[in-house]
Amino acid sequence: MDQSELNTKIKQMMIENLMLRLSPEEIGDDQPLFGPESLGLDSVDALQLVVALDKNYGLKIPDPAAAKKALHSVNTMAAAVRDLGKGTTPP
Amino acid sequence: MDKRVILVTGGNGQLGSEIGRFFLTVTANDTVWLATHRNTDRAEAFAAQFPGRCKTVSLDVTSQEAWADAAQRISAESGPITVLVNNAGKHDDALLANMPIETWNDVLQTNLQSVFLGCQAVLPQMISQRRGRIINIASLSALLPPPGQTNYAAAKAGVVALTQSLAKEVARIGITVNSICPGYLETEVFTSLPEAQLDEVRRRIPMRRLGRPEEIAAAVFFLATEAASYITGSSLKIDGGLL
Repeated sequence: MDQSELNTKIKQMMIENLMLRLSPEEIGDDQPLFGPESLGLDSVDALQLVVALDKNYGLKIPDPAAAKKALHSVNTMAAAVRDLGKGTTPP
Repeated sequence: MDKRVILVTGGNGQLGSEIGRFFLTVTANDTVWLATHRNTDRAEAFAAQFPGRCKTVSLDVTSQEAWADAAQRISAESGPITVLVNNAGKHDDALLANMPIETWNDVLQTNLQSVFLGCQAVLPQMISQRRGRIINIASLSALLPPPGQTNYAAAKAGVVALTQSLAKEVARIGITVNSICPGYLETEVFTSLPEAQLDEVRRRIPMRRLGRPEEIAAAVFFLATEAASYITGSSLKIDGGLL
């Protein structure tokens, strides 16, 4: 799976799990998930994303510091998944 | 009313046990955990009056690890925490010019960092249940800061702001986060003051008396009920009209 394909899968995972009324194309790869100019996600979304990443990719996010880094944007989530060596496994 | 699991920090203090008493006497299904740190005598004696329904847990509220351990233990023994009352606090007053940085840090950690850590430790349990109530005990000092309390007043104002911010982060699934700002209370902190000083305090309060801990506990109880489900991000001052 190439980077763009993985990013799209992650966006689809977000849309399904967080019930976002967006299409994958409307979510920027580098768009922050939280804070100003972001998708406007909240703490509930953050915890749901942690669960979804584990369920779909086996990515364990052990603590808030790791979550802050990995959950910055679609690109950072994809990087964390790729680092795990599971980026080629379809969810 | 559904079974609830309530965690009250500062469980060895007068206010902590009164908050516990309110839940235990008004309802029949609630389990109350009183978190204590160095002193445990009052909490243990209190818990013994409600066998099986009131328990104590050791918790240094400034430690992230301790919070993780306590949240896990409570959840394993009683089920997921549904109500968190961040009541632990301390003050160590000094004029800013004379305040050691250690005093500043200590008061900020105990009053403000503890609330952050508590919310962070307990929220995953609340989010997975899709219900929860967080009540943070701030202080009138957050709204009416007296001299000599730059550390305490800043910490408690931080608690009020943290409450407002977090309320917005979790409101979507019905978890509420509120703070209470008590004024002068009939607790050891104030009743140990010299009588002349107490008279002066009473004179300044429009109701001419100190608040009773159970009057704060009643508000905590209310904020934890279904009837209060649309109240979030609020800061309720309970001060006999002082502010």
